[in-house]
Amino acid sequence: MRRLTPWLLLAPGLLLVVVVLLAPVLNTGVMPFASGRAASLYQRFFFGSYNQGVILRTLQVASVTTLVSLALGFTAAYVVSRAPAALKSLLIVAAVFPLLTGTVVRSFAWMVILGRNGMANDALLKLGLTSEPVQLLYTQFAVVVGLVYLFTPLMILSLVGVLENIDTDLPRAAASLGAPPRAVFRQVVLPLATPGLIVGSVLVFTGSFTAFATPQLLGGEEQTVLATLLYQKAMVTLDWNGASTIASAMVVMTVIVVLLMNRLARRLNPASV
Amino acid sequence: MTQSLALDHVTAHYGTTRVLEDLSIRIAAGELVSLLGASGCGKTTTLRLVAGFMTPTEGTIRLGERDLTRLPAHRRDIGLVFQNYALFPHLSVADNVGFGLRQRGVAPDERGRRVAAMLERVGLAALADRYPAALSGGQKQRVALARALVIEPQLLMFDEPLSNLDAKLRVDMRVEIRELQRANGATAVYVTHDQEEAFSISDRVAIMDAGRIVQLDTPETLYQRPNSEFVARFVGFENMIPLAVTRREAGVAIAEGAEGTRLALPEAEFGRVPDRFVLGARPAGLAVTDADAPLGIPATLGLRTYLGRAYQYQCRTPGGALVADGPLDRPLETGQAARLVPLAQQCCILPDAGRR
Amino acid sequence: MAAPRSPLDRTHPGLIAATAVVYLFLLGPLVIVFGAAFSNTTFLAFPPQGLSLRWFENAFANSAFRASFVTSMQVAFGGTGLALLLGVPAAYAMSRYRVQLPKALSVMFVLPILIPEIVAGFSMLRFLQVSLGLPVVAALLLGHALLVLPYTVRVIGASLAAFDFSAEEAAISLGSPPLKTFVTIVLPNIRSGVIAAFVLAFITSLNDVSISVFLTGPGVSTLPIQILSYVEQFFDPTVASVSVLLMVLTVAVMAAVERTLGLTTFTK
Ligand SMILES: Nc1ncnc2c1ncn2[C@@H]1O[C@H](COP(=O)(O)OP(=O)(O)O)[C@@H](O)[C@H]1O
Ligand SMILES: [Mg+2]
Repeated sequence: MRRLTPWLLLAPGLLLVVVVLLAPVLNTGVMPFASGRAASLYQRFFFGSYNQGVILRTLQVASVTTLVSLALGFTAAYVVSRAPAALKSLLIVAAVFPLLTGTVVRSFAWMVILGRNGMANDALLKLGLTSEPVQLLYTQFAVVVGLVYLFTPLMILSLVGVLENIDTDLPRAAASLGAPPRAVFRQVVLPLATPGLIVGSVLVFTGSFTAFATPQLLGGEEQTVLATLLYQKAMVTLDWNGASTIASAMVVMTVIVVLLMNRLARRLNPASV
Repeated sequence: MTQSLALDHVTAHYGTTRVLEDLSIRIAAGELVSLLGASGCGKTTTLRLVAGFMTPTEGTIRLGERDLTRLPAHRRDIGLVFQNYALFPHLSVADNVGFGLRQRGVAPDERGRRVAAMLERVGLAALADRYPAALSGGQKQRVALARALVIEPQLLMFDEPLSNLDAKLRVDMRVEIRELQRANGATAVYVTHDQEEAFSISDRVAIMDAGRIVQLDTPETLYQRPNSEFVARFVGFENMIPLAVTRREAGVAIAEGAEGTRLALPEAEFGRVPDRFVLGARPAGLAVTDADAPLGIPATLGLRTYLGRAYQYQCRTPGGALVADGPLDRPLETGQAARLVPLAQQCCILPDAGRR
Repeated sequence: MAAPRSPLDRTHPGLIAATAVVYLFLLGPLVIVFGAAFSNTTFLAFPPQGLSLRWFENAFANSAFRASFVTSMQVAFGGTGLALLLGVPAAYAMSRYRVQLPKALSVMFVLPILIPEIVAGFSMLRFLQVSLGLPVVAALLLGHALLVLPYTVRVIGASLAAFDFSAEEAAISLGSPPLKTFVTIVLPNIRSGVIAAFVLAFITSLNDVSISVFLTGPGVSTLPIQILSYVEQFFDPTVASVSVLLMVLTVAVMAAVERTLGLTTFTK
């Protein structure tokens, strides 16, 4: 009886995961095979020229988003982590707030900015950089901006945590041994932050690789990515075999990225072994 | 090349709180001086100022001919051993020790040689490729030491370097630190709150209180002739007995205190006795004698404890509670009346700091 | 009189300027949405050319928005409540009986984060609604409970990690029955964890798109999905005013959390 107690407490939660997530996803995974046309479905998915374009675009958008948020997030996190206490909490709140605002609202904000009558075009016209409004919305640029906007707060918050975990005596020790500020950053702060940078990048990459609302609103049909393609197949063209194929491929690709990056993080962090 | 260190009228603040006040100290080339004081008295702050992690609001810091006051930390050439070691967790033992040489542009092969020699000296040659996470406390301490020594700094500083080690290791390490510092010939500042540690390894000890140095002297002088009640208490003069001289005859001062207290102090033994003063006495400096003795402090004996070398008594006297040692061959009973007589060897004469 | 800071603590002015730009980038667009919400033009523009509340009126008059707001609340409260009901015992079991449970178990409760939401949503649609025939609201409720389960397990697990279970054993040895002990001894000690978990989960559920977009059906929609479909048809400031209302709600929740727990809750 006593040995059963923990399992009785865990059972309801596990049941939810199994019935609402595991079973449905496995069901999705086997669907292409159950149809008996798995080979042709996967072939169409990976080698059809339209799909290949979508896959490449998705990877490209996610990679660029990750790099840009990493640059913006690390810069801001570095400054935030060194700010005096009161300012620091203010800056953290300012990063938390967008994070708690929904993806639809945040993507919508960029529709307002990038639209034909939006501020961006206004500015371009006033600066004389263009004589008539340019198409900004429904471009890959718009999708990347929207995703960077979505994920930078996450990056800032996770990197502030990473930087604050670095013992403040370490930069001092380095300086006392003769390292100028630049060397302190390169030889001490950066290497110690690297595992955290990778973890943050994994979060952002997987997040933007599978994001739906932002590409849907800012990319439209022209900038279809895997998530929006999955949605179209499932809800518009009702091609459920196709949708299941995309879904399975997305899971596999996500898992591969996570595993690779985790390995990299471990390689770069010899101190953890 | 060893240099002397001089702090002149240094004042320092954290925000608006003043933590050091008009602190001056001169440490000769090759000398090891300890800063000794209770937690929070400003020892670490003093090191941080010298190391350049903080700038004084007033005063100057000089190392030999160089004015360090506004020099960035990385150009001061000081070897610093941190309380929590501050080893770089992402670097191996060898790379930790080689860090300072690398900053100085020492070529890799020479760097390797010097690091190896230093690791040999601190007994860590076998652990060169380990990472700090896989070291014991004592080993980390040695790495921190090697890292500070290998750059052959003009000044070595230690911030409570042994406080995280167990008692046995602490004694071994302090001997080792002293030997390494001697061999290196560097001027050294050593921070600790452990009196025995400070006295055992220092040429001189600066006793600090609330952001000030209250006495700077050799361990022997501090131990025998503290210049204030604060220092006296610090070095074990537990009893403070306020007295006034009523008569002087044939080199003996007769001093009286609280009701019935009457002492004869030969100036040949106690030194010059001012008219008003405080007698500091270690427990061993108050002998318990018979109640009918003509001179002494009248006392009633309280709790007796056995210390091995003596019995110790908590005594009630007209002037307040005192602690005194009694002879081993004759244990006395609680409640018994006695007289306490000062022994010059274990007593000191302190200025009367404005008592009523 | 503050002491001058040493060069080591000084941050390069270029970095400070860059950070200011990043924060402008983070907060500017939200300000723009605010401006657009109060404009009196029929197209989305910033700065607004005149002020009016007509788009708020429009939003309140829109029955689809009203209905979807109600659904969102129901689903967020219901889903979060269910997740807490399942997550609290699970987190408790995992920290109390850690040694005798398989290590891999915790992976089960991370799965909802590991598996892309969009995949989960699609799979739920097929399995819960099509294969099992669950009604829309039930499926939404289950889907959201699953979505937020990891937050409840993790946040409550973190506060249980700081709890000393010997206090519980002491109470039991003094004759208090286990369930009562849990309520009177354990729960008060993890109160802040439960509140934090609730808030995080609630906001996550309220903002969810990727799962809801599959599970909502004709006539039953959540607010974000309603906004999504509105924006795809009309490009007027109504949605801006709905967004403002959502942001005000978020600020209210943040203020409440700040009052009770401090905002560092969100960075953990
Ligand atoms: N970063 C800081 N900010 C504000 N006050 C500090 C800071 N560091 C130390 N203090 C205060 O300065 C005083 C001296 O501290 P410190 O030099 O660390 O003492 P010690 O090393 O002798 O224990 C203490 O009262 C301490 O509370
Ligand atoms: Mg200290």
